[in-house]
Amino acid sequence: MTVEVNGREHELDPGETVQSLLARLGLEAGYALVERNGEPVERARYAEVELADRDRLVVARPVAGG
Amino acid sequence: MHDAFTIAGREFGSRLFLGTGKYDTFETMRDAVRASGAEIVTVAVRRIDFDQPGEDITSFLPDEVLLLPNTSGCETADEAVRSAKLARAGGLPDWVKLEVIPDPRYLLPDPVETLKAAAALVEEGFTVLPYVLPDPVLAKKLEEVGCATVMPLAAPIGSGRGLKLRDSIRIVIEQAEVPVVVDAGLGAPSHAAESMEMGADAVLVNTAIARADDPVAMAEAFRLSVEAGRKAFLAGVMEEQEATPSSPVGGTV
Repeated sequence: MTVEVNGREHELDPGETVQSLLARLGLEAGYALVERNGEPVERARYAEVELADRDRLVVARPVAGG
Repeated sequence: MHDAFTIAGREFGSRLFLGTGKYDTFETMRDAVRASGAEIVTVAVRRIDFDQPGEDITSFLPDEVLLLPNTSGCETADEAVRSAKLARAGGLPDWVKLEVIPDPRYLLPDPVETLKAAAALVEEGFTVLPYVLPDPVLAKKLEEVGCATVMPLAAPIGSGRGLKLRDSIRIVIEQAEVPVVVDAGLGAPSHAAESMEMGADAVLVNTAIARADDPVAMAEAFRLSVEAGRKAFLAGVMEEQEATPSSPVGGTV
């Protein structure tokens, strides 16, 4: 299946979760803020939210700012 | 004397907020945060660029500081609410420095969209600290919808021009029943001290420290100026008056 992360397509195996995707992207540590199909995903649910084909994800993080 | 500074029921020892933007390195930013004594630091929220992910800024910040996500980059109320919700869902605090800025030249905030977003975010349970022009009427309306502070700007973001909007800020302070945090445009410690002498509850500084030749020393200078200004406010700054001699008039030798 294919999901879009920050505008770029990723091929994933069925059954992947938000958490396993973040691990694949090297983002297990620190903050990774996730929006799935326009809705924010609670951090506590990253491990249980399974991704579906054609999901559109935004992955953000805190950065320097005033 | 205990001089508590409380926002939304949480007490802080420092009246200096720090922005984390524009530092040459995260290490310098970390050292400046420590030197400033700040207990609230702002961060922005941005999509990760997977070609250049960089480091996680939060790993450089002391554990005891409160991270205050801002909504910079948002031009409408809907965008700001979306950004704040994303930050909170991802584990950042449910406090938000609300910025809605459609104007790329002067970087001035949109009062109508800010008020709309503030009401929505308060309804969603956020502690909302809105960044605004020092409009006393707007400040009261923000207070009425439940904002925890108001954050009037002294001068445009990053300009370092000091208290250009002094008289309006004075009215905002006089009328406010929530803490007033002077935010943006403070270029020198004297500007911060003057804000505090006027009765501001706190100030937020970023560029003036981050872009100083020695940001860590400048962070300490701002810490001292905020403390001095606050102490002067509590001590009672004298009113301006006509010249009066400080020494006895008669008995000269």
